[in-house]
Amino acid sequence: MIFSRETIAKNVFLFCTLASTVTISSILLFMIALGLPLFQESSFLSIWTGPWDPYQGLYGIRPMISGTLWIALPATALSLPLSLGTSFVITSLGGRELRRMLGALVRFMTGIPTVIYGFVGIFLLMPLIREGFGGAGMCVLAAVIVLAILISPTMILFFSDSLLSVDPGDVQAAKALGADRAQRLLYIIMPKALNGMISGFILALGRALGDTLISLMLAGNAIRAPRGFLEPARTLTAHIALVNAADFNSLEFRSIFTCGIALYLFTTTAVIAVRFIGRKKSVMQ
Amino acid sequence: MLIKTKDKIIVNGVSFFYGRNQVLDNIHASFAEGAITAITGPSGQGKSTLLGLFNCMWDEIPGARCTGTIRIRLGDMWVSPLKKDIPMPLLRRKVAMIFQEPNPLPMSIAGNMAFPLKLAGVRDKSFIEEKVQKALAQAFLWEEVKDRLEKSALDLSGGQKQRLCIARALVLEPEVLLCDEPTSSLDKKAAGIIEDFLVSLKAKCTLLVVSHYMDQMRRIADKVMLLQDQGLSQI
Repeated sequence: MIFSRETIAKNVFLFCTLASTVTISSILLFMIALGLPLFQESSFLSIWTGPWDPYQGLYGIRPMISGTLWIALPATALSLPLSLGTSFVITSLGGRELRRMLGALVRFMTGIPTVIYGFVGIFLLMPLIREGFGGAGMCVLAAVIVLAILISPTMILFFSDSLLSVDPGDVQAAKALGADRAQRLLYIIMPKALNGMISGFILALGRALGDTLISLMLAGNAIRAPRGFLEPARTLTAHIALVNAADFNSLEFRSIFTCGIALYLFTTTAVIAVRFIGRKKSVMQ
Repeated sequence: MLIKTKDKIIVNGVSFFYGRNQVLDNIHASFAEGAITAITGPSGQGKSTLLGLFNCMWDEIPGARCTGTIRIRLGDMWVSPLKKDIPMPLLRRKVAMIFQEPNPLPMSIAGNMAFPLKLAGVRDKSFIEEKVQKALAQAFLWEEVKDRLEKSALDLSGGQKQRLCIARALVLEPEVLLCDEPTSSLDKKAAGIIEDFLVSLKAKCTLLVVSHYMDQMRRIADKVMLLQDQGLSQI
């Protein structure tokens, strides 16, 4: 039996799609299976909402969930306007030289190892926070600022690619109708680039939620839910890294899988929510 | 037939360069008010580039350079776009342009029509509606789209899209309309409607039309100019 090229290509892509779906689902099932001993020992609710105190037999990850949200969400929120502005300058508002220079700088930033950002935070930012606001300097604020800078190149590159992919005919039409650069950007380019920009935002948010090293180096790792930006915090990823050395059969070790499930759910929720907003916006246009 | 009228645009010693590549060399010409001037010539000679000089569409092209003088009479005032003595958005509202490929924006028909007015800062809804209806009627399009103004402009036929684009350019009542091969992507019937429409606009504005079709130029133009070997001459 002879298969057409189209059928072969279709089946290869179908296989890839199924493989991705199975892999992603397997990861979730794997985490649930390995975390099962903890779910059997503690109540489901207490794991998600209770405190962490292994000596008392309490393995709640609420402080880590709280720490993750306190760091990842403000960092993404801080990075968004920064990245939007930079991508606007790179794609349309800046002069030729400035665009070239900024583009090169952003691409360079993507290659800098995370640990370097962490060192910069420790040696440059933390003393400033210590002197300006008091305390040890290892706090949510330090992690938020450095994480915002760390994720911004991802957002900028995605935003810039999306903005540049808009049909030049539409931009030219708007220009001929008297739209200045800012109006073209606001009314023509941005609405058309929205879907690509949403993808960039999701990716950056995922990176912020999943980053380990910055929060490990800068946030202080205290196991209690922060109540302000100057308090220390421990994120889910930092917790996984710190508890990783515990005995495999201990419930303490098993808690890292509940952290994994929480991260998985956060990312999935963020993707669905942002896609939903984006689709609603597209329909409105 | 050449109509004797006042000059609307005067071009004096204009040369244009894309980097080191010279496209136009020492162009001299004048374009009469209330007339249709057709510009023709072989492909790649810079006809579209010349047209784009009048509303400064080239100003953001890296490495592009223009020397010489272009003067356009807007109302009672002469402006020199190359000297940028008029804000560019204002110039483009008065010297409107339509392109070879119809380019409705990805929004509704009404949205497309209201867009230039909104850019110009007009906020009065009833005024916008009145202007939109008038411009669509002028483009013989009102009857065809009045029941689907909120539908996407991208669903119109090729000829309707081009008429929408001309109507959209007219909504700001420009004094000059630059048409870059406005019928080349249309069939004969749709092209005929656009030609009639352009002729009907002579009373309101000055038209410069780039075209490859000699029979079309004979039908609609008062004056035909040939752009060849970087120079412009009347034929």
